[in-house]
Amino acid sequence: MNVHEFMTTRLEFVDGGASVYEAIEKMVDKRIRSLVVRFSGKDDGYGVITARDVVFRVLAKGINPQKMKVAEIASKPLITITQDADLTEASGLMQKSNVARLFVSDGQRLVGLVSLMDVMRAMLIMRARGKYVL
Amino acid sequence: MWKLLGGVFLGWSLGANDSANVFGTGVATGLVKYGTAVLLTAAFVLLGAVLEGPKCMGTLSELSRLGALEAFHCTLAAAVTMTALTALAIPASASQAIVGAVIGIGLFYGSADFSKLYKIISCWVFTPVCGIIAAYLFHRVLRYILEKTVVTLTYRNLLYYWGILVFGCYGAYSLGANNVANVTGVYVGSGQLSAETAALIGGISIALGVLTYSRKVMMTVGKGIAPLDPFSALVVVLATAFTLHVFTQIGVPVSSSQAIVGAVVGVGLVGDLRTVSSKMLAKIAVSWVLTPLSAGGLTYLIIALIK
Amino acid sequence: MFFEKAFRHGKKERKVIENIRSHLSLLRTACYTLETALEKRDRNLLGEVINLENEADVKRREILSNIYDGAFLPYLRPDLCKFVEIVDSIFDFLEETAYCYLEAEIPPEMGDECLRVAFFNRQMSEMLLITFQALVDGEDLREKTLAIRIYEKKIDDIKNYLTKDLRAVPVENFWNGLYLSNFLSSLTRISDVIEDASDHLQIISVSIR
Repeated sequence: MNVHEFMTTRLEFVDGGASVYEAIEKMVDKRIRSLVVRFSGKDDGYGVITARDVVFRVLAKGINPQKMKVAEIASKPLITITQDADLTEASGLMQKSNVARLFVSDGQRLVGLVSLMDVMRAMLIMRARGKYVL
Repeated sequence: MWKLLGGVFLGWSLGANDSANVFGTGVATGLVKYGTAVLLTAAFVLLGAVLEGPKCMGTLSELSRLGALEAFHCTLAAAVTMTALTALAIPASASQAIVGAVIGIGLFYGSADFSKLYKIISCWVFTPVCGIIAAYLFHRVLRYILEKTVVTLTYRNLLYYWGILVFGCYGAYSLGANNVANVTGVYVGSGQLSAETAALIGGISIALGVLTYSRKVMMTVGKGIAPLDPFSALVVVLATAFTLHVFTQIGVPVSSSQAIVGAVVGVGLVGDLRTVSSKMLAKIAVSWVLTPLSAGGLTYLIIALIK
Repeated sequence: MFFEKAFRHGKKERKVIENIRSHLSLLRTACYTLETALEKRDRNLLGEVINLENEADVKRREILSNIYDGAFLPYLRPDLCKFVEIVDSIFDFLEETAYCYLEAEIPPEMGDECLRVAFFNRQMSEMLLITFQALVDGEDLREKTLAIRIYEKKIDDIKNYLTKDLRAVPVENFWNGLYLSNFLSSLTRISDVIEDASDHLQIISVSIR
């Protein structure tokens, strides 16, 4: 089973120049744990801001999220994987990089996101398929 | 000869009432056709009566010395008691009725031997207990074996079907072996019949009762125990049959209804103590006391009236 | 008389099992055909889906009559029949989806997600077949039913997106809008019913233990 089958194709973005508070609002409304950060200016790449970043680096420290910009706590570059990679590669990369999600790229394009939960679900399905040859 | 009719009547009502304890579940859940169940029960009851029935015959005659006429009075009184209790919807045990009758006569004529009664009564008390223990053990052991061996859907299905049939036959066999003494045992005591002949005649009368009048009871009793899953139903029948068989070896006729109630409780204990209703336990306790007392009392009255 | 019944008994049950297995295979084929039809935009394949629904109906009747001919213990029969009926209703939704697709115009921006749903439907139908086989083999069904639930939730998520996006689609013609809406609704219902079917297999599994 490869990454393409289990990724989410819907990505949510936020601008690097937006406040962390706006990012939080988006995460809450869409019920997701991470956002892809679009950097303005010369930096053409993407970054990511996650719930962990928001909690550990802003809220828990008592910093006002409205006063902080997304670009200040976003991580980059994105850790990516290709569509036809398999689950073992994905889980190995997550473990090595100590992240809970990988971004799926097709060349330079971002086509999706595969999370730890996605990998877990896919592995459960592989287990269920087990010895049954289809 | 006509005096034997009392026994035949008693046997017939026993067959009609108790056969439900054997195949009741099977018939009420549609597993076994009524006709098949009845034929098998009748055949195996007769077989059990003839092969091992004589083992219990001695017990009744030890209670009190009986002449030919008294033997008739006993069986008649017991049969009437059974019928009356059944009509009042009180569970009636033939074993307890006949013992009550014999003691009744014994008291009347002063020839009762109470020392033998203790053995009998303790066996009655132990019947449901044995049912509980047997059912619990069989359930655990068989469940364990089953999970290791018969797993697939088809085989399980086949096993349950044949299991109900085979254990049902065993149940009928044990019923005949254990209870035929209730029916014609008194005639052996009075010297009218040999144990073997008594067993044969008793067996036939029980079989007749099964064949002719057991439908209604089979349907209602079966439905009461039917909520059990098929495996538990199997275990209940097996445990009941086993209990009856054990007491046959001991030589004392006991109540199949009490055995089956114990078995159902035993199976309930495997799952959860909550499935064992205190109502059921109370019912057992009450029958222990009520049935022989009422049977005995009624019999005493009847004998007194006849005289 | 009894021994004859014994051997015949095993045979009847095996026949029912074989037939249910081919019924489920038909389901997988139908889901696969729908998926391919959406992928290649092939209208002929959609007709094939409808044919398969008819074939499945015939199979269903055969299974039901086999069961009531005396296969399996009486207390198992209603559950087995219910399972077959549930599977049959999946075919009805497949047929409905095919019809609506023929009539409606699917906006291109939704095409990929619809294809993903059809893809997952096919995976689910395969898993259903696996679950049934596991039931017959006497295995624990937990992992298989969990797998089916995972798929169903995945499809549910996509359905949420699709429903939101649908509101933004311009509809010039009421009927086109209706067919589009019906297409999406029946396409996403398929997974719900497959989940129902697998839950029912779990019920059967528990009752035979």
